[in-house]
Amino acid sequence: MTDWLDHLLILPILLPLAVAAVLIPINERDRTLKGAIGFASTLVVFILSMILMRLAAAGTGSLPGSGVYQLGNWPAPFGIVLVLDRLSALMLCLTSGLALAAQAYSMARWHTAGHHFHSLFQLLVAGLNGAFLTGDLFNLFVFFEMMLAASYGLLLHGSGPLRVKAGLHYIAVNLAASALFLIGVSLIYGAAGTLNMADLATKLAALEPRSRTLVEMGSAILGVAFLVKAGMWPLSFWLPTAYAAATPPVAGVFAVLTKVGIYVIIRLHLLVFGTAAGASSGFGQEWLVTGGMLTIAFGGIGVLASQAMGRLAGYSVLVSSGTLLAAVGLGHDGMLAGALFYLVSSTLTIGAFFLLIELVERGRDAGADVLAVTMEAYGDFDEDEEEEEVGAAIPGTMAVLGLCFCLCALLLAGLPPLSGFIAKFALISGLFDMPAAELATAMSAADWTYVTLLILSGLAAMIAMNRIGIRTFWASIEGTIPRVVVIEITPVVVLLGACIFLSLQAGPAMRYMQATADDLLAPLTHSERVLSAPRAGSQ
Amino acid sequence: MTRPASVLAGPKSRPPIHSQGDKTIEYAEKLLSVFILVPFAGSLIAIFFPSDQRGAISWFAGAIALVCFLVTAGLYPYVASGGVLHYRIDWVPELGLNFTLRMDGFAWLFSALITAIGVLVALYARYYMAEEDPVPRFFALFLAFMGSMLGVVLSGNLILLAVFWELTSIVSFLLIGYWHHNAHARDGARMALTITGTGGLAMFVGLIIIGKIVGSYELDAVLASGDAIRNHPLYGTVLVLVLLGALTKSAQFPFHFWLPHAMAAPTPVSAYLHSATMVKAGVFLLVRFWPVMAGTEAWFWIVGLAGLTTLLLGAYFAIFQQDLKGLLAYSTISHLGLITVLLSLGSPLAAVAAVFHIVNHATFKASLFMAAGIIDHESGTRDIRRLGGLFHFMPITATLAMVASAAMAGVPLLNGFLSKEMFFAEAIETHLVNPLDTVTPYVATIAGMFAVTYSLRFIHGVFFGRPPADLPRKPHEPPRWMRAPLDFLVLACLVVGIIPAQTIGPFLHTAVLSVLREGTPDYSLSVWHGWNIPLIMSFVALSGGIGLYFLMRSYLATAVEGPPVFRLLQGQRIFERVLVTLSWKWARWLEQRLGTRRLQPQMRLLVFLALAAGASPLLLGNFELPPLVIRGIDPAFALLWAIGIACAIGSAYQAKFHRLASLVLLGGAGLVTCITFVWLSAPDLAVTQLLVEIVTTVLILLGLRWLPKRIEEPVAAEDISIRVRLRRLRDLLLAIGAGGGMMLIAYTVMTRPLPETIASYFLERAYREGGGTNVVNVILVDFRGFDTLGEIAVLCIVALTVFALLLRFRPQSDSLEAPEQQKVQNAFDDDHPDRAAGDSVAEYLFIPAVIMRWMFPVTGMLAAFLFLRGHDLPGGGFAAGIAMSIGFILQYMSGGTRWVEERLRIHPLRWMSIGLLVATATGVGSWFFGYPFLTSHAQYASLPVVGKFPLASAILFDLGVFSLVLGATVLILIALAHQSVRAPRAHAKAARSDKEAVR
Repeated sequence: MTDWLDHLLILPILLPLAVAAVLIPINERDRTLKGAIGFASTLVVFILSMILMRLAAAGTGSLPGSGVYQLGNWPAPFGIVLVLDRLSALMLCLTSGLALAAQAYSMARWHTAGHHFHSLFQLLVAGLNGAFLTGDLFNLFVFFEMMLAASYGLLLHGSGPLRVKAGLHYIAVNLAASALFLIGVSLIYGAAGTLNMADLATKLAALEPRSRTLVEMGSAILGVAFLVKAGMWPLSFWLPTAYAAATPPVAGVFAVLTKVGIYVIIRLHLLVFGTAAGASSGFGQEWLVTGGMLTIAFGGIGVLASQAMGRLAGYSVLVSSGTLLAAVGLGHDGMLAGALFYLVSSTLTIGAFFLLIELVERGRDAGADVLAVTMEAYGDFDEDEEEEEVGAAIPGTMAVLGLCFCLCALLLAGLPPLSGFIAKFALISGLFDMPAAELATAMSAADWTYVTLLILSGLAAMIAMNRIGIRTFWASIEGTIPRVVVIEITPVVVLLGACIFLSLQAGPAMRYMQATADDLLAPLTHSERVLSAPRAGSQ
Repeated sequence: MTRPASVLAGPKSRPPIHSQGDKTIEYAEKLLSVFILVPFAGSLIAIFFPSDQRGAISWFAGAIALVCFLVTAGLYPYVASGGVLHYRIDWVPELGLNFTLRMDGFAWLFSALITAIGVLVALYARYYMAEEDPVPRFFALFLAFMGSMLGVVLSGNLILLAVFWELTSIVSFLLIGYWHHNAHARDGARMALTITGTGGLAMFVGLIIIGKIVGSYELDAVLASGDAIRNHPLYGTVLVLVLLGALTKSAQFPFHFWLPHAMAAPTPVSAYLHSATMVKAGVFLLVRFWPVMAGTEAWFWIVGLAGLTTLLLGAYFAIFQQDLKGLLAYSTISHLGLITVLLSLGSPLAAVAAVFHIVNHATFKASLFMAAGIIDHESGTRDIRRLGGLFHFMPITATLAMVASAAMAGVPLLNGFLSKEMFFAEAIETHLVNPLDTVTPYVATIAGMFAVTYSLRFIHGVFFGRPPADLPRKPHEPPRWMRAPLDFLVLACLVVGIIPAQTIGPFLHTAVLSVLREGTPDYSLSVWHGWNIPLIMSFVALSGGIGLYFLMRSYLATAVEGPPVFRLLQGQRIFERVLVTLSWKWARWLEQRLGTRRLQPQMRLLVFLALAAGASPLLLGNFELPPLVIRGIDPAFALLWAIGIACAIGSAYQAKFHRLASLVLLGGAGLVTCITFVWLSAPDLAVTQLLVEIVTTVLILLGLRWLPKRIEEPVAAEDISIRVRLRRLRDLLLAIGAGGGMMLIAYTVMTRPLPETIASYFLERAYREGGGTNVVNVILVDFRGFDTLGEIAVLCIVALTVFALLLRFRPQSDSLEAPEQQKVQNAFDDDHPDRAAGDSVAEYLFIPAVIMRWMFPVTGMLAAFLFLRGHDLPGGGFAAGIAMSIGFILQYMSGGTRWVEERLRIHPLRWMSIGLLVATATGVGSWFFGYPFLTSHAQYASLPVVGKFPLASAILFDLGVFSLVLGATVLILIALAHQSVRAPRAHAKAARSDKEAVR
């Protein structure tokens, strides 16, 4: 018999699903009601996630049902299981937190831009949560589809030629990636005879070489599908356009969407191709390192080359992805905790930035950016300009927006004292984590390149944000002041506040990340837990 | 996870030097936090001051600086004679990053400088800032800067040092850009941040490596590991990285050019940041790391070369500045170069001189900046060419400025003279035998000469000579308290210059002792050292400088700003160009080359990478394909597949030219798949495939109507260029590769012996535990019912998306007109007078329409049948839902949208909602029996006529599936069907507006 508490684990999926179903037939005119119900649901999911994270932090022993939920009461590897551990709990919290902010933001104006926004939003949350919780490869595909389908709908929300064009590109690329996903899963099932991730991890080493090669092929194809989602160069060209075209609350929550790809790669790479994988151990690392570093470079270049803030944010997503992919690929165990910290920090930052952009740009002329850059490139200011040595006051709204922008810039560039800096410090520190005598010899060229790219990408973000910030807040103060409602700026402030909190509480946060990393680096313990979970009613 | 243990536990040892009890030391250590807390808290409070309270806020800021100064003063006994105070809070102890504040003699000296000059600047700014200036922002930033700077000097942890280091860059950026409506301020601020920020990032990496070499980031541990650092193979890397930070911050050549442009800041900012604090952070760092990094050849060359160049160039450029603040800025650069040169030498005596000069320069330069501000404030200009003879108008200020300038020039009896003499004395010493060491004394003398020249120019050009003719304001003495900071600083210059040993002596000794420790040399701080070479050098510099000034006077009086020749080589211009080229032009070029916004290349890349990824394990490993065995081919099956393949290829071929044909061919391929399933005994798949095939084909057919017409442009075969041909060939090869790869994979998987899979488990338990004999269906609703729940949710989402998108969809005008067939039929009606328009359309398919209408109940029955038999035989909720929706589709096709909706209540949204809820609720139901979600329970029930049928709880779940599938399909149908209802309306509206336009 199971305890009622055990069902906590599945609620983050079921609740948004049921709420979405309830929201569907409600008339679109009652948007506020729909929004309120949806917001309440996300809030509950957020609280649930926090509880689950608390429980996970206390160790898997304290989790209900030791963190394994057997759907239909079928044990792994036969039935589908949901597995909660520190990593999935972390991702749940991140998702629902971001979703909460985006949803509140949408209720000011954006949810009126089309139909069924809140239903789709709930389904997206359900899909994301499912993807983070599931321990089954095919079920992961299902939740990927759920999340992607909802993201198609949300990206197209608001219509307009730009969005439809970007949306159709997005759909085409992701459908193709889904097909690859399916091929990969079938191949793995055909070769290993199981769909359960934990089971696969234990079986891989014992497979005969031919089957193992087939599993590797399947994983490689699967990997391409995830890398499309994660936005690795050169599979990421759709991303900046799509994210820039999306309505702000959608773009805000999309910040976590690329992280699903990263999450799965971290999960599968360390579980299936971890130390226990025998000859396949570390499979595909070179791909991740090379691809990740190229992605950082491309993202950094894109950040510099962006005229509009939306594209800048889109490219920042790529930088963040590349940083994480390469960090996982480099295979230094010490970097993993830092990478997870970076993941949380950069997701929150980019989410906040996407929400902020529209508020800032509301009062501005669309052509202003292009003009300013051209002026900068060809002939500067008028040399004989009379200098006015009396300051101009910044209007209150602009001051708040400017402060938020500054925080975003610091976080994106990884400048102190915020979490972006701590994340980079943790990454580099983890990379150098070796005895002093070996420092010079044990570091590979890839390691040094990574450090260089990490710093350069931060620099690129600093220069680009500086340029755009000066243009927006300093150079054009007499422009119209955007009308911003409290419900729009509050989510931005809350997300940035979360980053500040993360900076202040970096110690406990890093401890959690370290524990998570230690979990991930012990794949067999994980498998053992999943496969040995008792069935309800078996005693 | 291996981690040097010492990172976690930084040393906490401190030399027990004092006689005070432990208790008081503890209090003193706690007081260290005041230096960080108070300024930042003050900064936060300052923001909320009303902007018209200029006096109150400057008193507030001054009081905060004063509190910090008093605390500093109070802590002196604890650091005198080598004591060190520590205050430590854990921040991220796992990574060795702690909030460690550490005050030794050197940090104390700097704290005193920062806080004391902070008080004076706050007072000065009270009078300097205009009434209309938004002062809360100014003072908030000022206090934040003071906090950051104190953080830099008090950091006892390398990473914390990096944190405060970058904070000073960031806050100074905001301060320089305070008057952000001026383009100069914006550009100057950006340049300062870009350069110092970049240096800071480099230094950050260097500090991490130092920490890894030492095994701890704590400064105590680092200072104790000089040999380990200097002898480490990575010393060179670390040195370059750390020096990048220090040299950019202290405006050393070749990074010096940002400082003059930072003069766009309000003068109090310049007086504070560019004399005593910000730029001193660089030399502070050099001194801090001097014990552990200096003394090597690399250090000598890099630091020495940068310092000497800066010393000379800065002094030379300063002569030619026409802007008072510009002159001071270049002089600052030159003096920082002097300090850098001293530090490069690696001799303890030189280090003493460097520390001494840091203090001296801060005092006279801060007072000179304030004087320049007063001149600017009271006369309205800072241009030396326009100024002159101001002595008559402001004699006191003039006197003060003269004393300070004399200190800058190194005139005896002033503090500048003492440290300059020490510099000259060190310059003539031989430290290392190399050319750089040889030229040092000459360069030092020439630079000293230039210093005299520009100091003289500052005095003579401004206060003497012809009275000014056309000043914006009539100059007069500034308010009493605006001059007070100046009085104080100049007094300090004098006192230190005359009785150094009694005034600065002990403090300097404390500072030096804490840096050099047991290596502290003997030195004397007396004014008179007898007739020696340094004194002669000073004499040469003094007389030469005066001579040079009078030689150049007439040229300078009218010259344009900047030194000849070098003027053309503007650092700022170069920087801007480089930045724009790198960060804009090249970046954009690269972005366009490395990326694309077009879909086709993206898809091509995706397929290519998938192919490469799939093939890589094959190529890397030694994998053999199973032997290709062809046996027992059934000719009929082969023919079937030949047809299927032909259909698929035809469909792909026609996709671009004839959508309808392509769709029909696709249907053919689907049908072949369907028959294959039957052939291979998979009836479930066959039924589902067939139904899905029908529905999707019909829906796409409906949608096809609204796609824009294809632009027909037949290109003659010979016109196709070779590039296009190559591209097509490449695509063909890629397609063949991907298709062939899939075939090989499928073949391999299908021909190998079945692995031990989970499938047998399902076969065993489907009936016993799942309650159904149709294993496929039991898998769908029970074993993997959760997948099904997810999939129906996906279907629901897709339907909603299509619906929401099509609600906003307005067809292109070219797809609005009636289809060709309808036109022909209408033309036929028009030609025959006995027929009304539209008759033919109505009569068309009349008989099939009647049949279709009558089919509705039949399809309903079929759906019910499929639904109920599902658990044991092929069928189930999904198939039933699709079948039922075919009934609706037929109605729409036969009767038209309006006809159907007048007769049937259709609420697909509700059906979907109910379906999803029922499916979820069924799953939740098992909770009440103490089982996890979707645990099923099965038994048989019997109805009178139907007989026994399975009544598993799964059937409820299946009902949900049915409802949702039906709802979703019908919703998509409606969304498409309503286009034709809406389209004429849009057409009519367009026509109406046309008419109005004509009228």
